[in-house]
Amino acid sequence: MTIPEDFKTRLKIAKSKIKKQFDNDDEKRRSFMGSAFKLGTELVAAVAVGTIIGFILDTLFDTKPWLIIIFFFLGAAAGMLNVIRAANRMQKED
Amino acid sequence: MASNPMQQFTVHRIGPEIKIAGIDLSFTNASLFMVISATVIILFLFLGSKEKKIIPDKLQLISEMFYTFVAKMISDTAGSKAKPYFPFIFSLFMFVLFCNMVGMLPYSFTVTSHIIVTLIMALFIFIAVTIIGFMKHGFKYLSIFVPSGVPAVLLPLITIIEIISYLSRPVSLSVRLFANMMAGHTMLKVFGGFVVSLGILGGWLPLSFSVALTGLEILVAFLQAYVFAILTCIYLNDALNLHH
Repeated sequence: MTIPEDFKTRLKIAKSKIKKQFDNDDEKRRSFMGSAFKLGTELVAAVAVGTIIGFILDTLFDTKPWLIIIFFFLGAAAGMLNVIRAANRMQKED
Repeated sequence: MASNPMQQFTVHRIGPEIKIAGIDLSFTNASLFMVISATVIILFLFLGSKEKKIIPDKLQLISEMFYTFVAKMISDTAGSKAKPYFPFIFSLFMFVLFCNMVGMLPYSFTVTSHIIVTLIMALFIFIAVTIIGFMKHGFKYLSIFVPSGVPAVLLPLITIIEIISYLSRPVSLSVRLFANMMAGHTMLKVFGGFVVSLGILGGWLPLSFSVALTGLEILVAFLQAYVFAILTCIYLNDALNLHH
């Protein structure tokens, strides 16, 4: 009887086709503009938080404007760290 | 009818003014649409899970799909330790998704297009995750700020950068959802205004844009709910599984 075997191979081929299609769909969905926007907010949010921390510490210690300048750059560094992490995560997902 | 595209975001009071201890607690259109979204979710899931058929009907199928979708998302990103937090993440995802989707209906109000709503959700997640991290690991949780393999000279600098990065989480989480929803709805309104002002002769081009944008907005509404939930899972993962 060759029919069952034949059926089995056909089933296998069909299953792998479906799987491939699913994978493709997933990739397409992820590569949408959402990911680009995600990275932008990561960067901006960290800079904003850094600057706010600098401003608060400045008024606390009365050292205007030094800490706000330092923390602005630290915030930018943190933003880049965020972006690198998010990009790594996206790569891992694909 | 040249209406202001930002007018759709105004919050106004419905019914009587309620003031408790100087805080305005009146029922607004924002609260109305939150109640509507919550009611729709409850009805939808209740009807979907009422009859446990072996061959599911459409409603049951969709609600089961939501369940497996969120369950898979949690187990993929945060592992099996995050299972107890499934109800929270599921309700978060459903609430954001349905608020976004209810906002897509004409004449409705998009709750998630207000930064205060998204910020409160993000802050709640942020504080909860921090508390969970400290509860699970005690003061060892602070090692999340000290990456391994950093030379001692750079350590203070890196630690400060890590702390800023950690504190920026609720900001980026809330701003992302809020900005996406607000920008999309403003765009829709602006293009709708073009259709009206150009009239029957020139209005067809902005109308077709409007149709395309509506499709895009539905995609964004789903995508942003997904991103919101998956980032919650990732933050939860950082708190549950300390590793560097």
